[in-house]
Amino acid sequence: MDEGVIRLEKVSKTFRDFWLRPTVAAVDSLDLEVRRGEVFGLLGPNGSGKSTTIKMILGLLSPSAGKVSLFGLAPSAKAARARLGYLPELSYLHPFLTARETLMYYAGLCGLPRKAAKERSDQLLEMVKLSDVAGRAVGGFSKGMARRIALASALIGKPELLVLDEPTSGLDPVSTKEVKTLVKALAKKGMTVLTTSHLLADSQDICDRVMILNRGKCVAEGKVSELGESLEDFFLAKVGSGDDFALADFLA
Amino acid sequence: MTSLWRIFWLELTSLLRSWTAPMLVAASIGWMFASERILVTDATEEGGREMVVRYGLGGVFALLVVALLAAATGSIASEREAKRLQLTQVRPVSAFSIAWGKFLALVAVGAAALALPCAMTALSPRFSGRMCNHVSHPAMESPRAEAEKMYDFYMADPDTPPEAKKAKKAVVLRLLEQRAKDNYMTVQTNETVSWSFPSLATRLDTDKPPSVRLRFSNDFDMRDDVRGQVLADGLLGVVSNITKTAVVVPLVAGWTKCEPGVVSFRNDGKSPVMLRPRQDVELLVEAGPFGWNILRAYVVMVSVLAFVVAFGVFLGAGLSRPVALFTAMVMLAVSEMSPSVVDQYPDQLETDRIDRIGLAITRFVERGTKSVSSLSPLSLVADDDCVEVGDAASTFALDFVALPALLCALSALLIRRKQEP
Repeated sequence: MDEGVIRLEKVSKTFRDFWLRPTVAAVDSLDLEVRRGEVFGLLGPNGSGKSTTIKMILGLLSPSAGKVSLFGLAPSAKAARARLGYLPELSYLHPFLTARETLMYYAGLCGLPRKAAKERSDQLLEMVKLSDVAGRAVGGFSKGMARRIALASALIGKPELLVLDEPTSGLDPVSTKEVKTLVKALAKKGMTVLTTSHLLADSQDICDRVMILNRGKCVAEGKVSELGESLEDFFLAKVGSGDDFALADFLA
Repeated sequence: MTSLWRIFWLELTSLLRSWTAPMLVAASIGWMFASERILVTDATEEGGREMVVRYGLGGVFALLVVALLAAATGSIASEREAKRLQLTQVRPVSAFSIAWGKFLALVAVGAAALALPCAMTALSPRFSGRMCNHVSHPAMESPRAEAEKMYDFYMADPDTPPEAKKAKKAVVLRLLEQRAKDNYMTVQTNETVSWSFPSLATRLDTDKPPSVRLRFSNDFDMRDDVRGQVLADGLLGVVSNITKTAVVVPLVAGWTKCEPGVVSFRNDGKSPVMLRPRQDVELLVEAGPFGWNILRAYVVMVSVLAFVVAFGVFLGAGLSRPVALFTAMVMLAVSEMSPSVVDQYPDQLETDRIDRIGLAITRFVERGTKSVSSLSPLSLVADDDCVEVGDAASTFALDFVALPALLCALSALLIRRKQEP
């Protein structure tokens, strides 16, 4: 039987205020399974619960109800985290560290021995084309360079599961294409990838399966090939076209 | 273990490259030089030495307490606010390692910034050849035991205020205990008083005769001349025409024999003198060179810094940075003031409710921070009193190991529990 790398069973998350009164139901009774070796896309408009779902999968948030498991373990288990790589929506780098030091730091956290960490860092710096600036502090990097070093950091521990939150955010078209090619290559090698994106074309290119979330609920799930010719049309049909915003009337 | 050292290294690197650590070291050394030029002494060698220790090193220590507390509150809070903490949290790293690694890095910076001024002081020609002394006090009944003995008499006494008679036993005992500590005895002209020092017989070395330190308080707080003789185990010291309130009397071989293990004082002056035996009579026995003493004081100060840092890390783990910083500074101010408030306002019989509540809160803070405030190593060093190895070791065990371990464990709990949408 195929092992579910990520499994969410009837998961809900309600945020509460200081007085513990419920404020926002970010995720509502969500079931999700990501299988080994697939590229899974979590799509939805802003505030649909994508980031909350990812944070629950990473163990950064605990669900209000339901069960989350990662490699069959609790997301907070060290054994599960050792098999995980995470690229957040923004790069969140330590500005005083150089590119190489950043990779060596995360390699150390993943328990890589010093020699192996150095070799892996050099490989990844080469891969993200930052070898020339390996000794420069990342605080001075452009957004695209920071994104690439963050991606390399996510891959430093040779993860089996890669969680990418808006991986192409802030990248130019060339770098975007490179990231997409990289994700496809990693998937070919057997890595499981969970990604979120606002750019539906990107998801259409790289994802095997997608789930569309709206207001914390799953509104559609399936193989990209089964959702029609255009993922964008399908998406707009499921979550609304935005025509009711009437921007033109407002500006008139 | 590897991840702990990686987090330690990251925090240390950040402190170095953000110029926090170099600025602290520079400010510490700068203050040591500046204090000698800015502060005015009484122009004596003794006054100069005291100024260097109390205000030079004391200023550096105060600066480090405030600066490290501020840095510690931000170490986790600012990482969380910048969303960098979550990148560490999703790795196979325990939350305790995160807190402990940051704690160790901050303490390392504090220890380095304090080491240089301490070394400068130890190597200064001003302190060359200085020795420090073991200090022992007379063997007397504990203030608590004395308070318990006095309780029945005090409650039966018609002069006892009605508020005291209505108060709880624990409150009255605390009041009597404070009185016992501050109990003055009067030594009349030509009167001899004696105090037992069990340590005298075992510690006495004739090659290095001991000294006795006495602090006098005259009637009506006037500083009349004090004259007298101090006798201890066949040694004699003369107190002659002094106007100081504290005097160190070196003992030399004398002709008068007295009871073993006993120190006596005979008042030869014209007027009675007063002193508190528990606090004002001390036997000083040479303990070793100044350098070792300042090293022990350094261990105590670093331990206190460690506790302060751990507390800051704990606050930062649970609160946002501005709130953590404000809370830390208020706690620091209250903990600094509380011993003197409790000392000056020991009376539990306050009738005003607000005053009672205020005193209760102050006493609570004073108890909670006693481990930090009870041992004042620089006051000891300034008085050439020995920072005892046992005291330094117990302070290290408590303030550097046990309390920070507890606070870091609580910080780890907060790191895991605190959830940001």
